[in-house]
Amino acid sequence: MPREAEISLNEREFIKQALQEQIRLDNRAFDAFRKLELTFGEEYGVADVQLGKTRVIARISIDVTTPLPERKFDGVFQIFTEFSPMASPAFEVGRPTDAEVILSRILEKAIRRSNALDTESLCIIAGLKCFALRADVHIIDHDGGLIDASCIAVMAALQHFRRPDVLVEGERATILSVREREPIPLSILHQPLCVTFSYFAEGEIFLVDANLAEEQVRNAEVIVTMNRHGEVCQIAKYGGVTVNPLAMLQCTNVALQKVKEMSKFIQQKLDEDAKRRDAGGLMAELSAENAR
Amino acid sequence: MEYFSLKRSNAADRGQANLSSKIYVRSTKSGKVQKIVRELYLRQDIPCSSNLCRACLDIAPTDYSKKVAPFVLSDTPAGSKDYPNGQYLVPDTNAFLTGMDLFEVETAFHDVIVLQTVLEEVKNRSLPLYHRLIALTKNEGKRFYVFFNEFRQETHVPRDAGETINDRNDRAVRKAVEWYNHHITEAIAARSKKQKRIPTVIMITDDRDNLRKAEKEKVPAVTLTGYVNGLENADELLDMMSSAQEQREVRSKKTEVFYPDHYSISKMMTGVKAGTMHQGIFNVSTYNYLEGSVHVPAFDKSLLILGRENSNRAVSGDVVVLEVLPRDQWKAPSTKILEEETLNKNDNAEAEDGENVISEKERKALQEEVKRVHGQTAEGKPQPTARIVGIAKRNWRQYVGHIDRDSVRSSSKTSRQQQTVFLVPMDKRIPKIRIRTRQAGELLGQRILATIDSWDKDSRYPVGHFVRSLGELESKGAETEALLLEYDVQYKPFPKTVLDCLPAEGHDWIVPASLENPGWKGRRDLRDLLVCSIDPVGCVDIDDALHAQKLPNGNFAVGVHIADVSHFVKPNNAMDKEASQRGTTVYLVDKRIDMLPMLLGTDLCSLKPYVERYAFSVLWEITPDADIVSSEFTKSVIRSREAFSYEQAQIRIDDKSQQDDLTNGMRTLLMLSKKLKQKRMDAGALNLASPEVKVQTESETSDPVDVQTKKLLDTNSLVEEFMLLANISVAARNYEAFPQTALLRRHAAPPKTNFEELTNQLKIKRNLELKTDSSKALADSLDTCVDSGNPFFNTLVRIMATRCMMSAEYFCAGTQAYPEFTHYGLASEIYTHFTSPIRRYADLEAHRQLAAAIEYEQLDPSLQSKAKLEAVCKNINVRHRNAQNAGRASIEYYVGQALKGKDIQEDGFIMKIFSNGFVVFVPRFGIESLIRLRDLATPEPEADFDPENYILNVKGDVKRRVELFEKVQVRITDEVEVSTGKRKVRLTLV
Amino acid sequence: MPLDTSTYSLALLRLDGRRWNELRRIHAQISTQAAADGSSYLEMGNTKILVSVTGPAEGRQSGQRGGSGGQAKVEVEINFAGFSGMERRRRGGGDKRSKEMEHCVKSAFEGVLLLHLFPHSTITLNIHIISQDGSLLAACINASTLALIDAGIPMTDYLVACTAASSASSTAADNASADDPLLDLNTLEEQELPFLTVGTLGDSDQVAVCVMETRVRMERLEGMLAVGIEGCKRMRGILDGVVKGYGKRFG
Repeated sequence: MPREAEISLNEREFIKQALQEQIRLDNRAFDAFRKLELTFGEEYGVADVQLGKTRVIARISIDVTTPLPERKFDGVFQIFTEFSPMASPAFEVGRPTDAEVILSRILEKAIRRSNALDTESLCIIAGLKCFALRADVHIIDHDGGLIDASCIAVMAALQHFRRPDVLVEGERATILSVREREPIPLSILHQPLCVTFSYFAEGEIFLVDANLAEEQVRNAEVIVTMNRHGEVCQIAKYGGVTVNPLAMLQCTNVALQKVKEMSKFIQQKLDEDAKRRDAGGLMAELSAENAR
Repeated sequence: MEYFSLKRSNAADRGQANLSSKIYVRSTKSGKVQKIVRELYLRQDIPCSSNLCRACLDIAPTDYSKKVAPFVLSDTPAGSKDYPNGQYLVPDTNAFLTGMDLFEVETAFHDVIVLQTVLEEVKNRSLPLYHRLIALTKNEGKRFYVFFNEFRQETHVPRDAGETINDRNDRAVRKAVEWYNHHITEAIAARSKKQKRIPTVIMITDDRDNLRKAEKEKVPAVTLTGYVNGLENADELLDMMSSAQEQREVRSKKTEVFYPDHYSISKMMTGVKAGTMHQGIFNVSTYNYLEGSVHVPAFDKSLLILGRENSNRAVSGDVVVLEVLPRDQWKAPSTKILEEETLNKNDNAEAEDGENVISEKERKALQEEVKRVHGQTAEGKPQPTARIVGIAKRNWRQYVGHIDRDSVRSSSKTSRQQQTVFLVPMDKRIPKIRIRTRQAGELLGQRILATIDSWDKDSRYPVGHFVRSLGELESKGAETEALLLEYDVQYKPFPKTVLDCLPAEGHDWIVPASLENPGWKGRRDLRDLLVCSIDPVGCVDIDDALHAQKLPNGNFAVGVHIADVSHFVKPNNAMDKEASQRGTTVYLVDKRIDMLPMLLGTDLCSLKPYVERYAFSVLWEITPDADIVSSEFTKSVIRSREAFSYEQAQIRIDDKSQQDDLTNGMRTLLMLSKKLKQKRMDAGALNLASPEVKVQTESETSDPVDVQTKKLLDTNSLVEEFMLLANISVAARNYEAFPQTALLRRHAAPPKTNFEELTNQLKIKRNLELKTDSSKALADSLDTCVDSGNPFFNTLVRIMATRCMMSAEYFCAGTQAYPEFTHYGLASEIYTHFTSPIRRYADLEAHRQLAAAIEYEQLDPSLQSKAKLEAVCKNINVRHRNAQNAGRASIEYYVGQALKGKDIQEDGFIMKIFSNGFVVFVPRFGIESLIRLRDLATPEPEADFDPENYILNVKGDVKRRVELFEKVQVRITDEVEVSTGKRKVRLTLV
Repeated sequence: MPLDTSTYSLALLRLDGRRWNELRRIHAQISTQAAADGSSYLEMGNTKILVSVTGPAEGRQSGQRGGSGGQAKVEVEINFAGFSGMERRRRGGGDKRSKEMEHCVKSAFEGVLLLHLFPHSTITLNIHIISQDGSLLAACINASTLALIDAGIPMTDYLVACTAASSASSTAADNASADDPLLDLNTLEEQELPFLTVGTLGDSDQVAVCVMETRVRMERLEGMLAVGIEGCKRMRGILDGVVKGYGKRFG
């Protein structure tokens, strides 16, 4: 089994020592994210996130299927993750590592279980037809912070995506092409985003957005998912060194602030993209609903 | 889901005295059987919550913040004859189910102990009643305490082998009562030796068996009636109870009452062909949800469908197949208001196995009707009655509504459990819809869009699913979107393909300067004419402009210039398709939903002042007596000199100092229009009235400020007359050119039966005669319908007469014979729509046909195909009607908003009388509202209804006689409905 | 329709008759299987779990004997009995949810066990879930602690876990008593309320494991954590009693 290139003992000690002296190797503050970049594709629902050297692409696609028999009134929404071997030698196709399982579980809990997407609105005819929405997350480059980056990518892609409109007449449903009817955005109920905290020095020091080297050295991680309304969607601390409960609560405060910043950033990028698509302000001409 | 609950103690083998477990067997929908085991921790620290008891204070539980819940039950409870020392009441399940109204009375029923066993059973039987009971326990004045008897060791009752669940629960109640009595006696003994006043804890039950057992076990028990009899205001309370008991539903375990099966399609087809069955569109009455009507060609009068069984799962709007019932089962249309919301409010949303599709209450409500109908004459004449045997085509659409709060089991927002709730559609004619959702908590208080998926024969209500939430109830955005959806108005942005059909120059497009330009080909240069437009204030999509000029021969040259939309919208391109689907622009109070993109509608096509625009002109030579000498049609270029509002134009015309040519031209137009109108009236055109009001909004927030009745100026009529004239001229020209495919508009003469009721009403109430033989006769007799003491009476009659008319419709010339072309209301032989192509698709088609008729261009093949045109007509007829309804609904909403928080007295008129209510029309606000007897007083007063004379005599304290056409004073307030949290305008008689 | 958690505020009683801060009945045994190096059986209410420990021993796969870095490797496998849930159906092992639980138990114990004492070896935990009624992860952790103690593998302290929920429904803004955090949830409560699983090391307040999967207002976290940690302390007392009871028998 190929392994992540292990970090040398010297390096390990160096990072630890530096942190004790309140210094991160890339000179970031302890509560600072790396530079976040977000671009959207030509197509609706493609988001490319770069967090420092980490790069993740999420793509949303849609299809029509039969709903699951036990969920007749729901559409289908699935998140698939793919760790490409080109991102890191530790990744192998077809054999999910623990990291991959945890990533997809966290995305599942953060986005799907917290009900960020209203799947009931994807139902076309109960029990017969529904939309199946699929989010594919591709890890292109791995330098730590995969969970945070993937979550941003999926949420941004979901907000960017437009699904075709559908016309239901009795038991017949017609999917209207983009040319026939302006496609419609998904119904997003809230926007959960993940912030991963890494603990060092037996739980005394914590950082946000650790890079790969820091991740290898850390003693424990806490993944907090929140939305900007101050709701915690998910917390995961799977073992590692113990942490003071008050410090955990402090994490949620930091996370809230980060999540607010990131939400704003995503919104800003979405607006920019909308503007770019609306070259020459022609979209306003197409609005049918106008003030009298 | 049904529970055969058995609570079996396995305390012994666990070795722990305080542990029991509850084992359920549950059968799921799919028929699987699941066994559910639950733990039950029995304890001794559940307080009795009586302020008499000291011992329980010590064991009272504390919460996280170390607070102790205060004790609920009074230390000096009220007594009665039999129990002078005061009493605590322990009602059983049925007592709550039948007498919830009684328990809610402020003056009686204090200090009640609600047992857990009872609470659970109530929840099982009726969720709405459960919610009411929970509300009672939170009402401090009522002193209701929930005692968790199943968790208290002394009162926990294991189920014996072979014991039915009901017997066990009764035993649990008796046991709890017994314990309570014992406990209270002990508590008082511990307090002081002297106190003699020991309250008794009494079980309230109507179950005879239970009473007998209670007597044997020496448990104090009394029937509900027995208890109420001992109270001071017994009579009043007993009244409430009798009605409550009547309403109680008999719930049998196994019922076989399903809806009848629908016939197979082939059977229906043969039946319809053979004439034994009929096909038509099912319409449900807005006042009585159990009554519907279907118009079929074979009968003059609509077929009547009464009751759930006969309507057999049809939803208003469906195309149904019916069988007429034997003549002895024919019935008269109901004179009673029946609302689903009130009649079935205690139904559970979760479907049950033994559900009766027809509730006992509904059956009763209808039976009363039938009794009344027998021995009726005049109005109550039985009408052909039918039952629905199959559905030819479902016309289910998406319905807007809100979630019934009482049907929600758990309103927690985090719970992801799927539950079934009721969606109450905005449209009263649509039945409640069962919706299965995981987000019930979040959907409460929201406007919801949902669809119906199916309606199986064993379910009383249709089943559907949630589509999306439109936003909070009452918020402007949600309500506007709701009404657009409800009237199927396409308000989404135009697709991008439409962009390609717009002129590349965008807003910079101008009429080409060079006359050589192809745009000028076949166009007449009318730029030097003094043209102006007259429209409502703030109009930006100006369709029409006019001019008049005196000719040397004493006649007048008059022109109507219409925006040349067909120049920009070519047949069959993306924009044309979109426009033909939309059919019309929809005007709401604060919004306009355009048929064409703004670039065209409000700029390039719009006949704005001071700029050159393409137009399609109708030019006449008219004599001073308003006779038409000649008419001519041409494409043209005009330059409007001014865009007036009706008011401005009126002021300008009235201002004698203005003597410029433009103003004089308008004066000429006004003079001619008056003559034209007179001619129309002489020919028998109807002057109808509709209850129109105008809402004034604040420009920034578009919050309603004031409601005004529309004022009509002479200039309104000026524009109207010339538009009518243009339309008639174009109709004739198009028909001449295309006798098979001209797109025309007709207004059929209403069948005589439509006026029967109104004629009868006028005759009885006012001794007036309404002649309906021809439009002329009707117009004349409407003029005679005056009431000297009541100037509004005439308008009221006109409004009511309008409702008896057929609706006007677009049609294709080849589908009707020439005599059928007539426009009844306008008394014109032929008519079409030509003058508003920016906002009506029919006009655009007429433009194209006229352009071909004058050989300006080739006619597109789509306009030569009768089949295609018929499809277009069908669509725009629907769109037109929807647009009007949406506009009205928007005004209604804004009027409601304007009345928010107000308390006004206004004049109203009685428009319709039912046996349990009446409809009042308030002209000041254009609102028409139902006042039910139960709105007049609680409890609902009795009333005598005299259908022959249209009189309702309300008895009791209200004591009042209400008759048709009566002028009444009403008080208009708004109130928040408890169940929905929605605000409603409420009218009461003063 | 049985009552649901919304009735808690009526008399401060939960669906099964407990108060907010009461644990369910806990029954535990160790050394239940002679064949294993260590084993335990734990009941938390109707949640029933059997754990057996093998090792420290040589790893099963020849290629990867023991852990790296001079430490023993911890392997965890969780099996759900087909009859453990309400629906009788066979759950294929290796779905993501049980993998996540395995990962959680594994990394939690990696921090507690003194693994450097057993280089190049593997410690395998086999967790069998016999009956599920809420607080599953917590029960797995508690049972594993007992089995590892039974196996005699040195660890710094008891790793104990508990669930805690917030009973406040977000719509009901009525009385304050509805805000009580609840301790040790059963399935019904887990389905209706936001809850978290918290694991602490021994008597300390230090959090070793914290997993929350439901959406909740951040202000509610503090109460939930506090109650959960309090429950862990009580849980440690109970487990300690079980271990000492066995000790006495052999002493």
